[in-house]
Amino acid sequence: MQPTLKVQALSKTFDVRAGLFKRKKFEVLKNISFCIGKGETIAVIGETGSGKSTLAKLLAGADNANSGQILLEGNIIEDNGIRDNQCRHIRMIFQDSGASLNPGLTIGDMLDDCLQYNTDFDEEERAEKINSTLSKVGLLVDHQHYYPHMFSVGQLQRVAFARALILDPKVMVLDEAVSSLDPSIRAQIVNLLLKLQRETGLTYVMITHHLSLVRHISDQVIVLDKGEVVEYGLTESVFNNPQSKITQRLLSC
Amino acid sequence: MQLLDVRNLTIELRTSETVIRAVDRVSFSLKEGEVHALVGESGSGKSLIAKAIVGVLNERWNITADRIHWRGVDLMRLTPEQRRQTVSKDIAMIYQDPSRCLDPTAKIFNQIAETLPEVARKGFFLKRNRDRKDRVKALIHKVGIKNHEAVLDSYPHELSEGVCQKVMIAMAIARTPKLLIADEPTTALESTTRAQVFRLLKSLNQLKNMSILMISHELEEIADWSHGIHVLYCGQMVEAGPTHKIFKQPRHPYTQALLKSLPDYEQGLAHKEPFYALKGTIPTLQHLPIGCRLGPRCPQAQKECVVTPSLTKHSGHSYACHFPLIKEMK
Repeated sequence: MQPTLKVQALSKTFDVRAGLFKRKKFEVLKNISFCIGKGETIAVIGETGSGKSTLAKLLAGADNANSGQILLEGNIIEDNGIRDNQCRHIRMIFQDSGASLNPGLTIGDMLDDCLQYNTDFDEEERAEKINSTLSKVGLLVDHQHYYPHMFSVGQLQRVAFARALILDPKVMVLDEAVSSLDPSIRAQIVNLLLKLQRETGLTYVMITHHLSLVRHISDQVIVLDKGEVVEYGLTESVFNNPQSKITQRLLSC
Repeated sequence: MQLLDVRNLTIELRTSETVIRAVDRVSFSLKEGEVHALVGESGSGKSLIAKAIVGVLNERWNITADRIHWRGVDLMRLTPEQRRQTVSKDIAMIYQDPSRCLDPTAKIFNQIAETLPEVARKGFFLKRNRDRKDRVKALIHKVGIKNHEAVLDSYPHELSEGVCQKVMIAMAIARTPKLLIADEPTTALESTTRAQVFRLLKSLNQLKNMSILMISHELEEIADWSHGIHVLYCGQMVEAGPTHKIFKQPRHPYTQALLKSLPDYEQGLAHKEPFYALKGTIPTLQHLPIGCRLGPRCPQAQKECVVTPSLTKHSGHSYACHFPLIKEMK
């Protein structure tokens, strides 16, 4: 079976200043490889500074890698830092949905922009797509005339989902998108995530530090430490039988 | 002996049109050496209650209470100056956002030194300086920061969130308060630092017999080591009682929903199975429903729920609901 997302030897280095004119290479990610099938969820856990968010940015195309490939259903979309210019297959959801939405645009306009720049739908098709996406994430059609400040936190998160879903992506990257929410809203959003996965076969890359949630919804886990994969495997086997010291320490607390 | 006894605390915000009641008649009490938790979602008024006890809310908020007794003294009846002295002697608070609550223009050493109780008023000034340095160093070691020289000599923006949080805790425990109010002390931290902070608070509670009022929106964080839990929803106390009782048998639908949204406590939930979730969202403060504020979202709601339910007490476990989940055993 063809995996949906395959990452091979992905590395990323940053230049940092060392002295007045010298520059030093700082490796954030070293040789990350994993693959994940359709309708599965992979969770990335690790401490701060372990390169979790950098990995998310690389996958979503917000930053370029130094070496390594990202393959989506067998097609190379990033090869040694050269990115195939398509953002519609891998979409990202940010931690603070209130801050990542444009306060000056209505929800409908914002979703319309996504479609205008990425598809060749005409006006009617776009309106129809917006309506169907909004109802898919549990919002009303009328909500497209609202501005972001008129929504509550849980609804904003749904809007963020709508923005990611509207281009029918294959992979969704969630950077701490659920763990910062209040418990009862989090339950709703997790249910929405699971429902979407069941219905459309989405693949999730989930970055979080909420371990019990990871155990509940993910199929595979990657444990990162200082840019290296210290453990990678099926969720149950990693949680039941952690091999490395770092994983044991993460899971014990 | 009751350390803190709050009866019918109401906090209102006056706006140009109406009066918004953000906290509605909340009562609770705290004994010496106990750890209590205030749990609720954002906007349920947890931080307001903490700030009202310490007395740092500004003029716009209207605070009324039958009593806020601190070791038998009613804080509401003291003059501001007396109240300030009482509070600063015995109560300390850790605020929500450490890097924003520290002074950005002063070094950590000076900020901690400022909170120290009149360190060695006596003695020659050289000795005083040395004493102060030693005390600050000891404090910062106590909260688990090892490289004290680098930390003490830096500004808050140079430190990570976790270290800032520990500095805040060091400042809070500098005067060995009787009560520590911790307002979401671990939201900004990741799991290993969070565990460290909890271990620190736990040891302070056990060794120094310090009472702690924890404010959090995660039930599971505080479940293991708190003596009592108070669950708030939209400014109303919905359930309160000893931790084990609440976990064993929640009476209020909201508490039940909170417990069921924890994968760890919900037995028999298969992998990737949906959680139990209440429908709808938290109402905004401008549009609070009358009566029981959970009403529109509550699965058990009936006609009677438009009247605010009174608190029913049953062997230390109290709940405010017209239709509690399990009928009492006869």
